[in-house]
Amino acid sequence: MSGSQPMIAASEITKHYGRLEVLKGVSLGVERGQVKVVVGPSGSGKSTLLRCLALLEPIESGSIVLDGEDVAWQARGGRGERSLVPFRSQLCMVFQHFNLFPHLTALENVMIGPVHVRGVDRKEARDEAMALLARVRLGDKAERYPHELSGGQQQRVAIARALALRPKVMLFDEPTSALDPELVREVIDVMEELARDGMTMIVVSHEMRFAHEAADAIVMMDEGRIIEEAPPDRFFRDPTHERTRRFLQLAEL
Amino acid sequence: MQFDRQIFWEALTSSTFAAGAALTIGLAVAAQAAGSILGLVVALLRGSSLPPVRWGAAAYVWLFRAVPTLLQLLFVWNALPQLIPSLRDPWFTPFLAAFLALSLNESAYMAEIIRSGLASVDRGQMLAGKTLGLRSDQIFRLITLPQMIRVIIPPTGNEFITLLKLTSLASVISLRELLTVTSQTVAVNFRFAELYAAATVWYLAIVSVFMVLQAQLEKRYQWSSRERDVRTMPVFARVAAGNR
Ligand SMILES: Nc1ncnc2c1ncn2[C@@H]1O[C@H](COP(=O)(O)OP(=O)(O)OP(=O)(O)O)[C@@H](O)[C@H]1O
Ligand SMILES: [Mg+2]
Repeated sequence: MSGSQPMIAASEITKHYGRLEVLKGVSLGVERGQVKVVVGPSGSGKSTLLRCLALLEPIESGSIVLDGEDVAWQARGGRGERSLVPFRSQLCMVFQHFNLFPHLTALENVMIGPVHVRGVDRKEARDEAMALLARVRLGDKAERYPHELSGGQQQRVAIARALALRPKVMLFDEPTSALDPELVREVIDVMEELARDGMTMIVVSHEMRFAHEAADAIVMMDEGRIIEEAPPDRFFRDPTHERTRRFLQLAEL
Repeated sequence: MQFDRQIFWEALTSSTFAAGAALTIGLAVAAQAAGSILGLVVALLRGSSLPPVRWGAAAYVWLFRAVPTLLQLLFVWNALPQLIPSLRDPWFTPFLAAFLALSLNESAYMAEIIRSGLASVDRGQMLAGKTLGLRSDQIFRLITLPQMIRVIIPPTGNEFITLLKLTSLASVISLRELLTVTSQTVAVNFRFAELYAAATVWYLAIVSVFMVLQAQLEKRYQWSSRERDVRTMPVFARVAAGNR
Protein backbone atom coordinates (compact mmCIF):
# COMPACT_ATOMS: atom_id res chain seq x y z
CA MET A 1 0.00 0.00 0.00
CA SER A 2 1.35 3.39 -0.92
CA GLY A 3 2.15 5.64 2.01
CA SER A 4 1.23 8.72 0.05
CA GLN A 5 -2.51 8.01 -0.05
CA PRO A 6 -3.79 10.43 2.60
CA MET A 7 -6.26 9.26 5.23
CA ILE A 8 -7.82 12.68 5.16
CA ALA A 9 -7.24 15.43 2.63
CA ALA A 10 -8.84 18.83 2.69
CA SER A 11 -8.29 21.04 -0.28
CA GLU A 12 -9.04 24.69 -0.81
CA ILE A 13 -11.65 24.89 1.93
CA THR A 14 -13.38 28.23 2.34
CA LYS A 15 -15.74 29.24 5.11
CA HIS A 16 -17.48 32.49 6.07
CA TYR A 17 -19.30 33.58 9.19
CA GLY A 18 -21.55 36.26 7.82
CA ARG A 19 -19.16 38.62 6.05
CA LEU A 20 -16.12 37.41 7.95
CA GLU A 21 -13.97 35.09 5.83
CA VAL A 22 -12.52 32.64 8.36
CA LEU A 23 -10.98 30.02 6.07
CA LYS A 24 -9.53 31.37 2.83
CA GLY A 25 -8.66 28.23 0.93
CA VAL A 26 -7.08 25.80 3.36
CA SER A 27 -5.47 22.58 2.14
CA LEU A 28 -4.23 19.98 4.56
CA GLY A 29 -3.49 16.30 4.13
CA VAL A 30 -2.69 13.70 6.75
CA GLU A 31 -1.45 10.25 5.87
CA ARG A 32 -2.51 7.10 7.63
CA GLY A 33 -0.97 7.02 11.10
CA GLN A 34 0.44 10.51 10.82
CA VAL A 35 0.04 13.23 13.41
CA LYS A 36 -0.14 16.88 12.46
CA VAL A 37 -0.13 19.66 15.02
CA VAL A 38 -1.78 22.95 14.11
CA VAL A 39 -0.60 26.17 15.73
CA GLY A 40 -1.40 29.81 15.13
CA PRO A 41 -2.61 32.99 16.77
CA SER A 42 -6.05 33.31 18.33
CA GLY A 43 -8.72 33.87 15.72
CA SER A 44 -6.67 32.43 12.88
CA GLY A 45 -9.35 29.80 12.21
CA LYS A 46 -7.91 26.66 13.84
CA SER A 47 -11.10 25.62 15.60
CA THR A 48 -13.19 26.45 12.59
CA LEU A 49 -10.96 24.27 10.42
CA LEU A 50 -11.37 21.34 12.81
CA ARG A 51 -15.16 21.76 13.00
CA CYS A 52 -15.33 21.76 9.20
CA LEU A 53 -13.13 18.67 8.98
CA ALA A 54 -15.28 16.99 11.64
CA LEU A 55 -18.32 17.68 9.44
CA LEU A 56 -19.88 19.78 12.18
CA GLU A 57 -20.14 22.82 9.93
CA PRO A 58 -20.73 23.23 6.21
CA ILE A 59 -18.04 24.68 3.98
CA GLU A 60 -18.64 26.99 1.03
CA SER A 61 -16.15 25.51 -1.37
CA GLY A 62 -13.35 23.00 -1.50
CA SER A 63 -13.38 19.30 -0.72
CA ILE A 64 -12.75 16.94 2.16
CA VAL A 65 -11.75 13.42 1.19
CA LEU A 66 -11.74 10.79 3.91
CA ASP A 67 -10.00 7.55 3.02
CA GLY A 68 -10.76 8.05 -0.67
CA GLU A 69 -14.35 9.22 -0.23
CA ASP A 70 -15.59 12.79 -0.64
CA VAL A 71 -17.43 13.59 2.56
CA ALA A 72 -17.53 17.39 2.69
CA TRP A 73 -20.65 19.07 3.98
CA GLN A 74 -21.31 21.74 1.38
CA ALA A 75 -23.35 24.79 2.32
CA ARG A 76 -24.94 24.71 -1.14
CA GLY A 77 -25.41 21.63 -3.27
CA GLY A 78 -23.47 18.44 -2.69
CA ARG A 79 -24.09 16.32 0.37
CA GLY A 80 -26.74 17.40 2.83
CA GLU A 81 -26.24 17.08 6.57
CA ARG A 82 -28.34 13.95 6.91
CA SER A 83 -26.31 11.89 4.47
CA LEU A 84 -23.01 12.68 6.17
CA VAL A 85 -24.05 11.75 9.71
CA PRO A 86 -22.58 8.24 9.29
CA PHE A 87 -19.17 9.75 8.44
CA ARG A 88 -19.00 11.89 11.53
CA SER A 89 -18.08 9.02 13.80
CA GLN A 90 -15.07 8.29 11.59
CA LEU A 91 -13.79 11.82 12.20
CA CYS A 92 -14.28 12.10 15.91
CA MET A 93 -13.50 15.36 17.64
CA VAL A 94 -12.23 15.94 21.18
CA PHE A 95 -13.10 19.35 22.60
CA GLN A 96 -11.32 21.89 24.73
CA HIS A 97 -14.05 21.70 27.38
CA PHE A 98 -14.49 17.89 27.14
CA ASN A 99 -18.28 18.13 26.60
CA LEU A 100 -18.93 14.89 28.46
CA PHE A 101 -22.60 14.07 29.00
CA PRO A 102 -23.23 15.05 32.63
CA HIS A 103 -26.18 12.68 33.12
CA LEU A 104 -24.19 9.59 32.17
CA THR A 105 -21.40 7.85 34.06
CA ALA A 106 -17.93 7.63 32.54
CA LEU A 107 -18.79 4.11 31.39
CA GLU A 108 -22.11 5.17 29.86
CA ASN A 109 -20.41 8.10 28.12
CA VAL A 110 -18.03 5.66 26.44
CA MET A 111 -20.80 3.16 25.69
CA ILE A 112 -23.10 5.61 23.93
CA GLY A 113 -21.23 5.43 20.63
CA PRO A 114 -20.98 1.65 20.36
CA VAL A 115 -24.60 1.12 21.44
CA HIS A 116 -26.37 3.88 19.54
CA VAL A 117 -24.11 4.49 16.55
CA ARG A 118 -22.35 1.19 15.88
CA GLY A 119 -25.27 -0.93 17.05
CA VAL A 120 -23.21 -3.19 19.32
CA ASP A 121 -25.23 -5.00 22.00
CA ARG A 122 -24.98 -3.59 25.50
CA LYS A 123 -22.94 -6.34 27.07
CA GLU A 124 -20.30 -6.27 24.39
CA ALA A 125 -20.30 -2.46 24.40
CA ARG A 126 -19.77 -2.53 28.14
CA ASP A 127 -16.73 -4.79 27.86
CA GLU A 128 -15.33 -2.64 25.08
CA ALA A 129 -15.90 0.53 27.07
CA MET A 130 -14.26 -0.96 30.17
CA ALA A 131 -11.22 -1.89 28.10
CA LEU A 132 -11.01 1.63 26.69
CA LEU A 133 -11.33 3.20 30.14
CA ALA A 134 -8.51 0.95 31.30
CA ARG A 135 -6.47 2.08 28.32
CA VAL A 136 -6.80 5.72 29.41
CA ARG A 137 -6.07 4.53 32.97
CA LEU A 138 -9.55 5.17 34.35
CA GLY A 139 -10.70 1.60 34.89
CA ASP A 140 -11.53 2.43 38.51
CA LYS A 141 -13.67 5.46 37.65
CA ALA A 142 -16.20 3.77 35.37
CA GLU A 143 -19.18 4.40 37.67
CA ARG A 144 -18.34 8.04 38.31
CA TYR A 145 -20.26 10.93 36.82
CA PRO A 146 -18.31 13.65 34.97
CA HIS A 147 -18.65 16.25 37.74
CA GLU A 148 -17.03 13.76 40.10
CA LEU A 149 -13.86 13.63 37.98
CA SER A 150 -10.95 16.04 37.59
CA GLY A 151 -10.50 17.91 34.31
CA GLY A 152 -7.70 15.60 33.23
CA GLN A 153 -9.82 12.55 33.98
CA GLN A 154 -12.80 14.03 32.13
CA GLN A 155 -10.67 14.68 29.06
CA ARG A 156 -9.39 11.10 29.13
CA VAL A 157 -12.98 9.82 29.30
CA ALA A 158 -13.74 12.05 26.31
CA ILE A 159 -10.83 10.47 24.44
CA ALA A 160 -12.10 6.98 25.30
CA ARG A 161 -15.60 7.99 24.20
CA ALA A 162 -14.22 9.05 20.81
CA LEU A 163 -12.04 5.93 20.52
CA ALA A 164 -15.10 3.73 21.09
CA LEU A 165 -16.32 4.71 17.63
CA ARG A 166 -13.12 3.35 16.08
CA PRO A 167 -12.59 6.58 14.12
CA LYS A 168 -10.25 6.77 11.17
CA VAL A 169 -9.10 10.22 12.21
CA MET A 170 -9.16 11.94 15.58
CA LEU A 171 -9.35 15.72 15.78
CA PHE A 172 -8.27 17.47 18.98
CA ASP A 173 -9.09 21.13 19.62
CA GLU A 174 -6.78 22.43 22.36
CA PRO A 175 -7.44 19.36 24.50
CA THR A 176 -5.30 20.53 27.41
CA SER A 177 -5.81 24.28 27.44
CA ALA A 178 -8.70 24.15 29.93
CA LEU A 179 -6.68 22.04 32.34
CA ASP A 180 -4.67 22.97 35.42
CA PRO A 181 -0.95 22.63 34.56
CA GLU A 182 -0.46 19.54 36.71
CA LEU A 183 -3.21 17.69 34.81
CA VAL A 184 -1.89 18.38 31.32
CA ARG A 185 0.66 15.58 31.45
CA GLU A 186 -1.79 12.72 31.96
CA VAL A 187 -3.78 13.75 28.90
CA ILE A 188 -0.69 14.30 26.75
CA ASP A 189 0.60 10.86 27.78
CA VAL A 190 -2.58 9.24 26.50
CA MET A 191 -2.40 11.19 23.25
CA GLU A 192 1.23 10.22 22.69
CA GLU A 193 0.30 6.61 23.24
CA LEU A 194 -2.45 6.92 20.63
CA ALA A 195 0.06 8.43 18.20
CA ARG A 196 2.48 5.54 18.81
CA ASP A 197 -0.34 3.06 18.23
CA GLY A 198 -0.84 4.51 14.76
CA MET A 199 -3.89 6.74 15.16
CA THR A 200 -4.21 9.42 12.48
CA MET A 201 -4.51 12.71 14.33
CA ILE A 202 -4.90 16.42 13.75
CA VAL A 203 -4.19 18.31 16.95
CA VAL A 204 -4.62 22.00 17.60
CA SER A 205 -2.31 22.50 20.54
CA HIS A 206 0.48 24.65 21.83
CA GLU A 207 1.88 21.85 23.99
CA MET A 208 5.55 21.81 23.06
CA ARG A 209 6.34 18.39 24.38
CA PHE A 210 3.59 16.77 22.38
CA ALA A 211 4.56 18.64 19.22
CA HIS A 212 8.15 17.51 19.54
CA GLU A 213 7.51 13.91 20.55
CA ALA A 214 4.48 12.98 18.49
CA ALA A 215 4.05 15.29 15.53
CA ASP A 216 5.17 14.37 12.03
CA ALA A 217 4.60 17.95 10.98
CA ILE A 218 3.63 21.29 12.46
CA VAL A 219 1.21 23.45 10.54
CA MET A 220 1.10 27.20 11.04
CA MET A 221 -2.20 28.99 10.46
CA ASP A 222 -2.62 32.71 10.15
CA GLU A 223 -5.66 34.72 9.12
CA GLY A 224 -7.50 31.78 7.62
CA ARG A 225 -4.57 30.33 5.69
CA ILE A 226 -1.91 27.73 6.24
CA ILE A 227 1.31 29.66 5.79
CA GLU A 228 3.87 27.06 6.69
CA GLU A 229 4.21 23.33 7.25
CA ALA A 230 7.37 21.57 8.40
CA PRO A 231 8.65 18.73 10.60
CA PRO A 232 8.92 19.84 14.25
CA ASP A 233 12.69 20.42 14.53
CA ARG A 234 12.85 22.48 11.39
CA PHE A 235 9.63 24.31 12.24
CA PHE A 236 10.87 25.43 15.62
CA ARG A 237 14.56 25.85 14.74
CA ASP A 238 14.37 27.44 11.35
CA PRO A 239 10.92 28.62 10.24
CA THR A 240 10.89 30.10 6.77
CA HIS A 241 8.04 32.50 7.26
CA GLU A 242 8.53 35.78 9.05
CA ARG A 243 5.08 35.56 10.68
CA THR A 244 5.88 32.12 12.04
CA ARG A 245 9.07 33.47 13.56
CA ARG A 246 7.21 36.30 15.24
CA PHE A 247 4.48 33.96 16.45
CA LEU A 248 7.02 31.56 17.95
CA GLN A 249 8.75 34.43 19.73
CA LEU A 250 5.51 35.89 21.10
CA ALA A 251 4.12 32.52 22.11
CA GLU A 252 7.50 31.54 23.55
CA LEU A 253 7.25 28.14 21.96
CA MET B 1 -72.28 26.16 66.96
CA GLN B 2 -69.11 24.35 68.04
CA PHE B 3 -66.67 22.62 65.67
CA ASP B 4 -68.07 19.10 65.52
CA ARG B 5 -65.15 16.68 65.25
CA GLN B 6 -67.52 13.86 64.49
CA ILE B 7 -68.86 15.61 61.38
CA PHE B 8 -65.36 16.65 60.34
CA TRP B 9 -64.08 13.09 60.66
CA GLU B 10 -67.02 11.55 58.84
CA ALA B 11 -66.65 13.97 55.93
CA LEU B 12 -62.91 13.46 55.77
CA THR B 13 -63.24 9.68 55.57
CA SER B 14 -66.40 9.66 53.45
CA SER B 15 -66.39 7.95 50.09
CA THR B 16 -67.83 11.15 48.58
CA PHE B 17 -64.77 13.15 49.57
CA ALA B 18 -62.42 10.35 48.54
CA ALA B 19 -64.08 10.18 45.13
CA GLY B 20 -63.84 13.97 44.80
CA ALA B 21 -60.16 13.85 45.71
CA ALA B 22 -59.57 11.04 43.22
CA LEU B 23 -61.21 13.10 40.49
CA THR B 24 -59.08 16.11 41.43
CA ILE B 25 -55.89 14.06 41.26
CA GLY B 26 -56.92 12.34 38.03
CA LEU B 27 -57.79 15.60 36.35
CA ALA B 28 -54.59 17.32 37.50
CA VAL B 29 -52.31 14.43 36.50
CA ALA B 30 -53.99 14.02 33.11
CA ALA B 31 -53.91 17.76 32.36
CA GLN B 32 -50.30 18.03 33.52
CA ALA B 33 -49.25 15.11 31.30
CA ALA B 34 -51.11 16.37 28.24
CA GLY B 35 -50.02 19.95 28.93
CA SER B 36 -46.37 18.87 29.19
CA ILE B 37 -46.41 16.97 25.90
CA LEU B 38 -48.26 19.77 24.12
CA GLY B 39 -45.94 22.29 25.79
CA LEU B 40 -42.90 20.41 24.49
CA VAL B 41 -44.31 20.55 20.96
CA VAL B 42 -45.02 24.28 21.28
CA ALA B 43 -41.55 24.90 22.74
CA LEU B 44 -39.95 23.06 19.82
CA LEU B 45 -42.08 25.00 17.33
CA ARG B 46 -40.91 28.23 18.98
CA GLY B 47 -37.38 27.25 17.96
CA SER B 48 -38.38 26.52 14.36
CA SER B 49 -36.37 28.00 11.52
CA LEU B 50 -39.60 29.08 9.79
CA PRO B 51 -40.70 32.50 11.11
CA PRO B 52 -44.48 31.93 10.68
CA VAL B 53 -44.25 28.72 12.74
CA ARG B 54 -42.33 30.58 15.46
CA TRP B 55 -44.91 33.38 15.49
CA GLY B 56 -47.80 30.93 15.62
CA ALA B 57 -46.31 29.19 18.63
CA ALA B 58 -45.64 32.52 20.36
CA ALA B 59 -49.22 33.62 19.70
CA TYR B 60 -50.49 30.37 21.20
CA VAL B 61 -48.54 30.96 24.41
CA TRP B 62 -49.69 34.57 24.51
CA LEU B 63 -53.36 33.65 24.09
CA PHE B 64 -53.56 30.89 26.69
CA ARG B 65 -51.58 32.81 29.26
CA ALA B 66 -53.52 36.05 28.80
CA VAL B 67 -57.07 34.69 29.09
CA PRO B 68 -58.22 33.77 32.64
CA THR B 69 -58.35 30.04 33.22
CA LEU B 70 -61.94 30.27 34.42
CA LEU B 71 -62.97 31.95 31.17
CA GLN B 72 -61.18 29.23 29.16
CA LEU B 73 -63.04 26.61 31.13
CA LEU B 74 -66.42 28.27 30.59
CA PHE B 75 -65.59 28.74 26.92
CA VAL B 76 -64.81 25.07 26.41
CA TRP B 77 -67.89 23.93 28.34
CA ASN B 78 -70.48 26.45 27.10
CA ALA B 79 -69.25 28.10 23.91
CA LEU B 80 -67.59 25.19 22.13
CA PRO B 81 -70.79 23.07 21.99
CA GLN B 82 -72.57 26.10 20.55
CA LEU B 83 -69.98 26.20 17.75
CA ILE B 84 -69.48 22.46 17.33
CA PRO B 85 -72.82 20.60 17.49
CA SER B 86 -71.29 17.16 18.13
CA LEU B 87 -70.01 18.43 21.48
CA ARG B 88 -73.63 18.67 22.68
CA ASP B 89 -73.76 14.88 22.89
CA PRO B 90 -73.51 13.24 26.31
CA TRP B 91 -69.97 11.94 25.71
CA PHE B 92 -68.66 15.49 26.17
CA THR B 93 -68.61 15.30 29.96
CA PRO B 94 -67.56 18.00 32.43
CA PHE B 95 -64.41 15.95 33.03
CA LEU B 96 -63.46 16.03 29.33
CA ALA B 97 -64.20 19.74 29.12
CA ALA B 98 -62.13 20.49 32.22
CA PHE B 99 -59.33 18.24 30.94
CA LEU B 100 -59.30 20.02 27.58
CA ALA B 101 -59.35 23.53 29.04
CA LEU B 102 -56.74 22.85 31.72
CA SER B 103 -54.43 20.98 29.31
CA LEU B 104 -54.45 23.84 26.83
CA ASN B 105 -53.91 26.36 29.59
CA GLU B 106 -51.13 24.32 31.16
CA SER B 107 -49.40 23.71 27.84
CA ALA B 108 -48.77 27.44 27.41
CA TYR B 109 -47.00 27.64 30.76
CA MET B 110 -45.12 24.37 30.19
CA ALA B 111 -43.98 25.63 26.77
CA GLU B 112 -42.22 28.52 28.46
CA ILE B 113 -40.67 26.31 31.13
CA ILE B 114 -39.50 23.76 28.55
CA ARG B 115 -38.17 26.47 26.26
CA SER B 116 -35.92 27.81 28.99
CA GLY B 117 -34.99 24.23 29.92
CA LEU B 118 -33.91 23.50 26.37
CA ALA B 119 -31.96 26.76 26.21
CA SER B 120 -30.09 25.79 29.39
CA VAL B 121 -28.51 22.73 27.77
CA ASP B 122 -24.96 23.63 26.73
CA ARG B 123 -24.43 23.89 22.97
CA GLY B 124 -21.30 21.78 23.36
CA GLN B 125 -23.50 18.83 24.29
CA MET B 126 -25.06 18.84 20.86
CA LEU B 127 -21.67 19.18 19.16
CA ALA B 128 -20.39 16.22 21.15
CA GLY B 129 -23.43 14.18 20.17
CA LYS B 130 -22.94 15.11 16.54
CA THR B 131 -19.26 14.27 16.42
CA LEU B 132 -20.05 10.81 17.80
CA GLY B 133 -22.29 10.31 14.78
CA LEU B 134 -25.62 10.39 16.62
CA ARG B 135 -28.65 11.38 14.56
CA SER B 136 -30.51 14.51 15.65
CA ASP B 137 -33.43 12.49 17.06
CA GLN B 138 -30.95 10.44 19.12
CA ILE B 139 -29.24 13.60 20.35
CA PHE B 140 -32.61 14.94 21.47
CA ARG B 141 -33.72 11.73 23.20
CA LEU B 142 -30.41 10.63 24.75
CA ILE B 143 -28.74 13.94 25.53
CA THR B 144 -30.97 17.01 25.43
CA LEU B 145 -34.13 15.56 26.98
CA PRO B 146 -32.67 14.18 30.24
CA GLN B 147 -30.67 17.36 30.82
CA MET B 148 -33.73 19.48 30.11
CA ILE B 149 -35.89 17.41 32.47
CA ARG B 150 -33.50 17.98 35.35
CA VAL B 151 -33.83 21.74 34.91
CA ILE B 152 -37.61 21.79 34.60
CA ILE B 153 -38.51 19.55 37.56
CA PRO B 154 -38.74 22.35 40.17
CA PRO B 155 -40.81 24.80 38.06
CA THR B 156 -42.97 21.92 36.83
CA GLY B 157 -43.62 20.91 40.43
CA ASN B 158 -44.84 24.44 41.06
CA GLU B 159 -47.04 24.28 38.00
CA PHE B 160 -48.52 21.01 39.10
CA ILE B 161 -49.48 22.33 42.53
CA THR B 162 -51.10 25.34 40.89
CA LEU B 163 -52.91 23.05 38.49
CA LEU B 164 -54.11 20.85 41.33
CA LYS B 165 -55.84 23.87 42.82
CA LEU B 166 -57.09 25.13 39.48
CA THR B 167 -59.10 21.91 39.16
CA SER B 168 -61.43 23.44 41.76
CA LEU B 169 -62.55 25.88 39.06
CA ALA B 170 -64.29 22.93 37.49
CA SER B 171 -66.91 23.22 40.23
CA VAL B 172 -68.53 25.91 38.04
CA ILE B 173 -69.24 23.28 35.39
CA SER B 174 -70.41 20.89 38.11
CA LEU B 175 -67.57 18.40 37.82
CA ARG B 176 -67.71 16.47 41.10
CA GLU B 177 -64.13 17.17 42.15
CA LEU B 178 -63.08 17.84 45.73
CA LEU B 179 -64.35 21.42 46.07
CA THR B 180 -67.66 20.63 44.34
CA VAL B 181 -68.47 17.77 46.69
CA THR B 182 -67.51 19.99 49.63
CA SER B 183 -69.87 22.76 48.49
CA GLN B 184 -72.65 20.32 47.78
CA THR B 185 -72.32 18.76 51.23
CA VAL B 186 -72.24 22.19 52.84
CA ALA B 187 -75.45 23.10 51.01
CA VAL B 188 -77.13 20.21 52.79
CA ASN B 189 -75.93 20.59 56.39
CA PHE B 190 -74.37 24.08 56.58
CA ARG B 191 -71.33 22.73 58.51
CA PHE B 192 -68.89 25.13 56.81
CA ALA B 193 -65.98 24.83 59.23
CA GLU B 194 -65.97 21.05 59.44
CA LEU B 195 -66.32 20.45 55.70
CA TYR B 196 -63.87 23.14 54.60
CA ALA B 197 -61.43 21.70 57.12
CA ALA B 198 -61.91 18.22 55.66
CA ALA B 199 -61.29 19.56 52.12
CA THR B 200 -58.21 21.40 53.36
CA VAL B 201 -56.77 18.23 54.84
CA TRP B 202 -57.34 16.41 51.55
CA TYR B 203 -55.58 19.14 49.53
CA LEU B 204 -52.71 19.19 52.01
CA ALA B 205 -52.35 15.43 51.84
CA ILE B 206 -52.40 15.37 48.04
CA VAL B 207 -49.86 18.16 47.69
CA SER B 208 -47.61 16.54 50.31
CA VAL B 209 -47.56 13.24 48.47
CA PHE B 210 -46.59 14.95 45.23
CA MET B 211 -43.91 16.97 46.98
CA VAL B 212 -42.33 13.73 48.18
CA LEU B 213 -42.50 12.31 44.65
CA GLN B 214 -40.87 15.47 43.31
CA ALA B 215 -38.08 15.27 45.87
CA GLN B 216 -37.41 11.67 44.82
CA LEU B 217 -37.37 12.64 41.17
CA GLU B 218 -34.95 15.47 41.86
CA LYS B 219 -32.70 13.08 43.73
CA ARG B 220 -32.80 10.71 40.78
CA TYR B 221 -31.62 13.55 38.58
CA GLN B 222 -28.67 14.41 40.82
CA TRP B 223 -26.40 12.29 38.60
CA SER B 224 -24.18 11.39 41.45
CA SER B 225 -22.67 7.96 41.95
CA ARG B 226 -24.14 7.80 45.46
CA GLU B 227 -27.70 8.12 44.11
CA ARG B 228 -27.75 5.21 41.74
CA ASP B 229 -30.50 3.19 43.39
CA VAL B 230 -32.75 2.84 40.40
CA ARG B 231 -35.16 0.33 41.92
CA THR B 232 -37.11 2.87 43.96
CA MET B 233 -37.79 5.09 40.99
CA PRO B 234 -40.84 5.23 38.76
CA VAL B 235 -40.35 3.63 35.38
CA PHE B 236 -41.03 6.82 33.43
CA ALA B 237 -38.16 8.57 35.20
CA ARG B 238 -35.81 5.74 34.37
CA VAL B 239 -36.81 5.89 30.72
CA ALA B 240 -36.39 9.66 30.60
CA ALA B 241 -32.99 9.45 32.26
CA GLY B 242 -31.59 7.45 29.40
CA ASN B 243 -33.21 4.05 29.66
CA ARG B 244 -30.81 2.32 31.96
N1 LIG C 1 -19.87 30.47 15.21
C1 LIG C 1 -19.22 31.57 14.83
N2 LIG C 1 -19.91 32.65 14.38
C2 LIG C 1 -19.29 33.78 14.00
N3 LIG C 1 -17.96 33.94 14.00
C3 LIG C 1 -17.20 32.91 14.42
C4 LIG C 1 -17.80 31.68 14.85
N4 LIG C 1 -16.80 30.84 15.24
C5 LIG C 1 -15.65 31.51 15.04
N5 LIG C 1 -15.87 32.75 14.53
C6 LIG C 1 -14.85 33.74 14.17
O1 LIG C 1 -13.98 33.11 13.27
C7 LIG C 1 -12.63 33.48 13.51
C8 LIG C 1 -11.79 32.22 13.74
O2 LIG C 1 -12.21 31.62 14.95
P1 LIG C 1 -11.62 30.25 15.47
O3 LIG C 1 -12.34 29.91 16.73
O4 LIG C 1 -11.61 29.26 14.38
O5 LIG C 1 -10.12 30.69 15.79
P2 LIG C 1 -9.00 29.87 16.57
O6 LIG C 1 -7.80 29.91 15.70
O7 LIG C 1 -9.49 28.56 17.01
O8 LIG C 1 -8.75 30.83 17.84
P3 LIG C 1 -8.38 30.40 19.34
O9 LIG C 1 -6.91 30.15 19.36
O10 LIG C 1 -8.74 31.64 20.11
O11 LIG C 1 -9.21 29.23 19.72
C9 LIG C 1 -12.66 34.41 14.70
O12 LIG C 1 -12.60 35.74 14.21
C10 LIG C 1 -13.99 34.15 15.34
O13 LIG C 1 -14.47 35.30 15.96
MG1 LIG D 1 -9.95 27.67 18.89
